[in-house]
Amino acid sequence: MISVVDLHKAWGPRAAVSGVSFEVRKGEVVGFLGPNGAGKTTTMRILTGFIPATSGEVKVAGFDVFDDPYAVRARVGYLPETPPLYPELTVGDYLLFCAELRGVERSRRASRTGEVMERVGLRGWEKRLLGSLSKGYRQRVGLAQAIVHDPPVLILDEPTSGLDPAQVVGIRDLIKELAGSHTVILSTHILSEVEAVCPRAVVINRGRLVAEGDIATIRGMARGGAYTYVEVQGIDGPRLGRLPGVALVEPVGQAGGWAAFRVRAPADPREMLADRAARGEFRIRALESRLPSLEEAFIDIVGREGLA
Amino acid sequence: MSGVLTIWKKEMRVYAVNPTAYAFLAVFMFLAGLFFYLGLTLTGEASMRVLASNLAIAELFVLPMLTMRHFAEERRQGTLEMLLTSPVSPMALVLGKWLASLTLCLLMFLGTLILPLILAYYGDPDWGVVFTTYLGLLGVAAAFCAAGLFSSSLVDDQLAAGLIGIVMLMPFWLVGRAEALVGDEWAAKIQAFGVLSHLESFNRGVIDSADVYYFLAFAGCFLFLTYRSLESRRWR
Ligand SMILES: Nc1ncnc2c1ncn2[C@@H]1O[C@H](COP(=O)(O)OP(=O)(O)O)[C@@H](O)[C@H]1O
Ligand SMILES: [Mg+2]
Repeated sequence: MISVVDLHKAWGPRAAVSGVSFEVRKGEVVGFLGPNGAGKTTTMRILTGFIPATSGEVKVAGFDVFDDPYAVRARVGYLPETPPLYPELTVGDYLLFCAELRGVERSRRASRTGEVMERVGLRGWEKRLLGSLSKGYRQRVGLAQAIVHDPPVLILDEPTSGLDPAQVVGIRDLIKELAGSHTVILSTHILSEVEAVCPRAVVINRGRLVAEGDIATIRGMARGGAYTYVEVQGIDGPRLGRLPGVALVEPVGQAGGWAAFRVRAPADPREMLADRAARGEFRIRALESRLPSLEEAFIDIVGREGLA
Repeated sequence: MSGVLTIWKKEMRVYAVNPTAYAFLAVFMFLAGLFFYLGLTLTGEASMRVLASNLAIAELFVLPMLTMRHFAEERRQGTLEMLLTSPVSPMALVLGKWLASLTLCLLMFLGTLILPLILAYYGDPDWGVVFTTYLGLLGVAAAFCAAGLFSSSLVDDQLAAGLIGIVMLMPFWLVGRAEALVGDEWAAKIQAFGVLSHLESFNRGVIDSADVYYFLAFAGCFLFLTYRSLESRRWR
């Protein structure tokens, strides 16, 4: 539904996006992750046709953004970084205008507006002036604006930024609801957001693609990747490291006579450790294969590239 | 082109709830009344002619202020991003905004209709001349609103946009005074670019197609420039 091939965008001499390629399949929810200034907004603006790319090929819903901009616009719902609101209009008037702007037929406008207000939790707010809304409600209206014409593709730039935790959960639930029937790409610099709503993520840093794949794959990309977590008694770090097949041991902490370690080995060491514990060489109470958290993976991947 | 109507309706709704629009409407009517009163007392001549050329100058100051909001504010609010990524074309956006500001001008003119009615009380004005005079003023409005939209597309600060608009339009008024600065021979040619010389026929009750073309070309040029400016600013 969205395909980006070797996208470049320069602002004057400075490159904001350099050679980014990725794909979003129909019905997927993909997180577009990166620290501030990574080039997320720039990429999304190119996807929606708001700004032209310097070079590269971008297709949305099967149409080229540069050659067929109007075909793309008719199929995309877009929530820019700041919700595009007219402070002097009421919520109802604004959404009716958006529906008309997006080509919803006259007979369906009122019912569509009602539906989306219900959906984003704005029921009963149609008479309120946009200028009087709090950040959370502005964001909801922005989201309503993006889905009012029921577009197959949704491009959401930091949809939960500036919201309080309860509102964040609400918006995430809504996005999860939209998944399946809609193709969604949402940008964020918040890791837990991606873990909460997106099965797959595209990670960029300083305008370059640094990782792409499902969350587990990205977690596996952290230095060392998967490891075995153990909590043991009666054996110390150096002795653990000398066991056959173990490559590296990192102490994690100690509590109540139990010591926790991260054990790295080329082959899964769990069986060997369990056997030895059963033979009484040491005591063990936790033994599990783990992936680094997305947080660790992210800091690691982005850090390797050099954090801006 | 249904987008033009969509934009027009939205602009009219925003004007309707915007106090500054009413303020400028009031300023225009006040100026009209003032010029009318001064014309009457100073020259003793009760005519639409004096009123018309003064109103054209009032338009020069008021219309850029009326249109300054359009693109400057859309850009600041981030709503321009929504409009330019919608299925409505930038040209329809420009035309919709232009027609909305012209509609407001018509309302302003409606408010000044009291003045010819006063004339009718004292004398017997030629209603044909009153009509063509207003037609001329509408031509000026069409041209100046287009120029105002253009200046609004140039900068993000709306007040700056308004001032740029006024400064940009000044020459079109001042060349009317060219006679005093250069020889007669050149003056006629330069004055042809001025707005006032194209109002003369209208004020005499004559609709000269050359004048109509002048105002249409003036508006057309600035509407096109506005469109180009919107497009080119996406590159930066
Ligand atoms: N209109 C612009 N003119 C010049 N530079 C810009 C413009 N917009 C963004 N940039 C630059 O491009 C880079 C990427 O910005 P952006 O896409 O907004 O990042 P993100 O959304 O990931 O925080 C930044 O270095 C930013 O300063
Ligand atoms: Mg951003």
